[in-house]
Amino acid sequence: MALFIVRRVLMIVPILLGLLLLAFGMLRLAPGDPAAAIAGDNATPEQIAAIREDLGLDRHVIVQFADYAWNAAQGDFGVSAYSNRAVGLDIAQRLPATLELTFAALAIAAVGGIVIGALSGAWYNSTFDHFVRVVTVLGLATASFWFAIMLQLVFALDLGLLPLRGRLPAGMEVPPDITGFLLIDSLIAGRLDAFGATLSHLALPAITIAFGGLATVARFTRSSVIEAMHSEYAAYETAVGYPRRRVLFPFALKNALVTPVTQVGLLFGAFVSNAVAVEAVFDWPGLGSYLVQAIFAADYTAVLAVTLVIGFVYGVVNIVVDVVHGLLDPRVAERM
Amino acid sequence: MRMLTGAAVAAALAMLPVAAAADTDEIVWGDTLPSGLDPHVVYDVPMQFYMLNVYDGLYRYIGNPPELTPWLAESHEVSEDGLQWTFTLKDGVTFHDGSPLTADDVVYSFQRLLTMGRGPSGAFLPVLAPEGVEKVDDLTVSFTLSQAYAPFLAAIPLVAIVNQDAVEANVVEDDWGSGWLTSNGAGSGAYIPDAQTYIPQEKLDLAINPDHFWGWDDNADPIEIVRAYPVQETSTRVLALINGDIDATDSYLPTDQVERVEAAEGVGVASDESMRIMIIRMNNRRAPFDNENFRKCVSHAFDYEAFIEIVLGGFPERNAGPLPGNLWGAPDDLEPYGYDLEAAAEYCDAARGEGAELDRPLEIHIQSALEQTTQAAEILQAGMAAVGVTVELVASTWPTLTSAAGSVETTPDMWVHWVSTYFVDPENWIGQMYDTTFAGTWKASSWYADARVDELLQAARAETDRDVRTGYYEEASRIIVEDAADIWIYNTVQLRGLSDRLEGYSFSPVGSGGELRWMSVTD
Amino acid sequence: MLILRKFLRDIPAVLGLAIVALAILIAFFGDPLIVDGAQAVIPDLRSRLQPPSWEHPFGTDNLGRDIFTRVVMGTGGALTVSTTVVAAAMAIGVPLGLIAGYTNGFASEAVMRVTDVFLAVPQLILAIALAQVLGRGLEAAVVALAATYWPFFTRTVYAETRRVRTLLFVEALEGLGAKRLRILAMHVLPNVAAPIIVRATIGMGFIILTSAVLGFLGVGATPPDPDWGLAISEGRNYMPGAWWMTTFPGLAILALVLGFNLLGDGMRDLVDPRLRRSR
Repeated sequence: MALFIVRRVLMIVPILLGLLLLAFGMLRLAPGDPAAAIAGDNATPEQIAAIREDLGLDRHVIVQFADYAWNAAQGDFGVSAYSNRAVGLDIAQRLPATLELTFAALAIAAVGGIVIGALSGAWYNSTFDHFVRVVTVLGLATASFWFAIMLQLVFALDLGLLPLRGRLPAGMEVPPDITGFLLIDSLIAGRLDAFGATLSHLALPAITIAFGGLATVARFTRSSVIEAMHSEYAAYETAVGYPRRRVLFPFALKNALVTPVTQVGLLFGAFVSNAVAVEAVFDWPGLGSYLVQAIFAADYTAVLAVTLVIGFVYGVVNIVVDVVHGLLDPRVAERM
Repeated sequence: MRMLTGAAVAAALAMLPVAAAADTDEIVWGDTLPSGLDPHVVYDVPMQFYMLNVYDGLYRYIGNPPELTPWLAESHEVSEDGLQWTFTLKDGVTFHDGSPLTADDVVYSFQRLLTMGRGPSGAFLPVLAPEGVEKVDDLTVSFTLSQAYAPFLAAIPLVAIVNQDAVEANVVEDDWGSGWLTSNGAGSGAYIPDAQTYIPQEKLDLAINPDHFWGWDDNADPIEIVRAYPVQETSTRVLALINGDIDATDSYLPTDQVERVEAAEGVGVASDESMRIMIIRMNNRRAPFDNENFRKCVSHAFDYEAFIEIVLGGFPERNAGPLPGNLWGAPDDLEPYGYDLEAAAEYCDAARGEGAELDRPLEIHIQSALEQTTQAAEILQAGMAAVGVTVELVASTWPTLTSAAGSVETTPDMWVHWVSTYFVDPENWIGQMYDTTFAGTWKASSWYADARVDELLQAARAETDRDVRTGYYEEASRIIVEDAADIWIYNTVQLRGLSDRLEGYSFSPVGSGGELRWMSVTD
Repeated sequence: MLILRKFLRDIPAVLGLAIVALAILIAFFGDPLIVDGAQAVIPDLRSRLQPPSWEHPFGTDNLGRDIFTRVVMGTGGALTVSTTVVAAAMAIGVPLGLIAGYTNGFASEAVMRVTDVFLAVPQLILAIALAQVLGRGLEAAVVALAATYWPFFTRTVYAETRRVRTLLFVEALEGLGAKRLRILAMHVLPNVAAPIIVRATIGMGFIILTSAVLGFLGVGATPPDPDWGLAISEGRNYMPGAWWMTTFPGLAILALVLGFNLLGDGMRDLVDPRLRRSR
């Protein structure tokens, strides 16, 4: 098993190198002269030339790439035109917000999806089951940014139930930054007010993002529950006279729970993608809204650095998922 | 079903302890933050807000129309030939860290700006070298210009005075401390930024500086804490204002949202005539825009009235030329181009007769983040289609467009932007927009070239008598408008949504009313 | 025609087919049968921001254009973009997958490693970055989407080709001296076609969603294109007053993507009966 984990972790190295090459290539492809962009509106040609030299743009491409890769490995992605400071710093400040949102959405999708899926699997072909199927299919077909706006319209504007935007009320003091996850930090600081506020601010964006994934999890859970219910064991138990529910929960659900785990990697990717536009809608101060602002500022350095970082995080999540899957199901580990 | 329950629980949790946050001396300012906090690097409109509150300059614009008021300076003197400027500083001014603000800091600030060559340095570099700034004594600074430059004093408020010791302590290599200053403050202004809270363009807390040199006698109950929390989306921003999440929006409320704010309780809209002209640039050196008749055709094909009266709710004032109509130097009798498709068709025919090639689709570049640029472009597109010319929109961004303005080849056929007030002098508009010496900068991106206009604008720059300068600018304006160099649309009326609890809001075209030291809150 | 009968029994799949067919009809004949397409781009400022009515069933937008007309005219755009992207992604991804799946050695390895790199970042993120770098506009968005979507086909085709290759008849053909290209085109491809078609159908819906996000973020279609994603983004500034500006284009996306998803699900059931409908 240890060997499996090491091998799985090492597999990410060539992928990261490839990603760096891809990002570097795109950076070179980007229109405009980065030196001119940094120099600003009033620069003389001499100033631009000096900046080119500073940036090392006059060196051989391979040297530049090595430099880019070496710096990126240390978290140095260059200076953002959007914030006028190190992109790495901006990303470090915003990554926790995105992760907190994504994990909250994953939790909602997993719990909601398993519950809904199990119920509709247990009573499949019931009205409830049909209703759930329609909703889950809709979840996969909904543009998340549009759904976000609709939720804002209903829950924040019409009903006034939930906050419209942001991560905390503007006037509230932020709990000391320990993990970067406000839900955890507020508990560490014993700040129940901040905890509650974080939760209410999380609700709409996390639900928006979870909506599509909920469908996926529910579908998988439903079908494995149905499969389990049709298994000989379940048939035997029912025949012996155990009520359906008693059969379902200990046996079918246990089997059904393994499936969503294998989906977490994929869901994480989908959720991070959805987070981009959803964060922009909800003013969530994470990587997604940073990416959107960087697009409007034509800040290629930042855009590509965000791409790299998301690729890295995605890779790590997938490793964790594979390892967990391997632990749950040793055959997976053997196959690698 | 589950989702709803979850949301309700979360809402209930949120209700519990949040209410404690309300405090009378605290406001949330929802306008945009600058793209970095170094006032010698960043030169955009939000920076004016930051500079006015965190930094001080030698002079400052106050009120509307803006009046140039001695600020850190006690007074100044100019030599007869207009080359030698001497400023005397007020005594006893201190920075936020308590150290005194002296002539050394002033010299350092100007030299830092001029050597880095970024931010607002463009207004000074043609006439002032770093060596031209010298300390005379602890409270006296002299500037030696290489040639007479009338707008010099008008541009002085652009330069924030930074704390030399604080910045120099954070210099890395030869960056002039910029890496540090871009997320920290080193000023003496009425508010002290809390660098701990800073997330670029997301949030920054400002706390009052009780020791500000101007004193607080003129504001008995100033705001103690200002949380600058920009809200990105217009509709969200307006709702946040109505909900009471923020106390002020930006100053460019779309007119459709104005009605909503005015209908809502506890909030209102401050509307103030500014000096900010909207303009569609034409690349005068690229065919067919090198043809005067064609430019006139385009000038007549834009439905100014519908745009101003309907889309913009009639707030802004039609502006006939390159100078804001409410600034000296703008001729009163200038006749604006009107929407007249017949005239447009005639001019286009005339252009064709002169060999202008009008068959290729012409490009108009918009700024995706600014919806009004899109609408204006679409309206022009419809007008041009009516006279048989195809116009295509190209989505772009401010940084892309300003760097494209560097050469004739890369400058788009047309693009849409505004020229805001950075300093209150015709030089800020017509001077930097149509004098060929500025070719290659975004302000001069129409690549207009006229020997007489160059002569007038240069003469106006060197002349100190305002009456004489007025004459020069009026003549230059007439020539430029007659040549239809660009399409000038309107002079902005700035619309800012404000909470009723905010008092003392006073607008100035510089900083758009964001100077916090005059404001207070009631409850 | 057992397959056809089986398909017709699957009500959701038939519904999906109906939606897709309707969308195609609208794309081809919407102008002039339903609306006057020219009106989709001509501003009529005097009737701007009008709520839904008989005259304007979906209301009018910020420049007074009829939103119903624009939604109808946007259908063609959505289908064109997704068809182009999926076709281009297939053109790149399928041959690569065939080669990588059929051969062993360096080429196969290289193709799959490059595929891994592209799949290492969520597609939307990579597409945003690429579209941004390529410059704005619909063309850039289409290129960016195609350039980031092909690996999905490569993956699918690779796995299927591996499976088919181990089947006996391919080895027999090779033993008979058949040319590789011929084996690939005549024998392998038909056997892997079904999963490709399923992937392409679901991909159509997926690309419509993704390109809508690009339009929403301003790196896709350019005004006055009646693109749905762009329309939602334009409508945001007029929320919640003019809710119709965002609501109807969003519903259009929902309907069309739903159509492709239902159709794709149905086809997957036909192709691979082992998989239950519920997946």
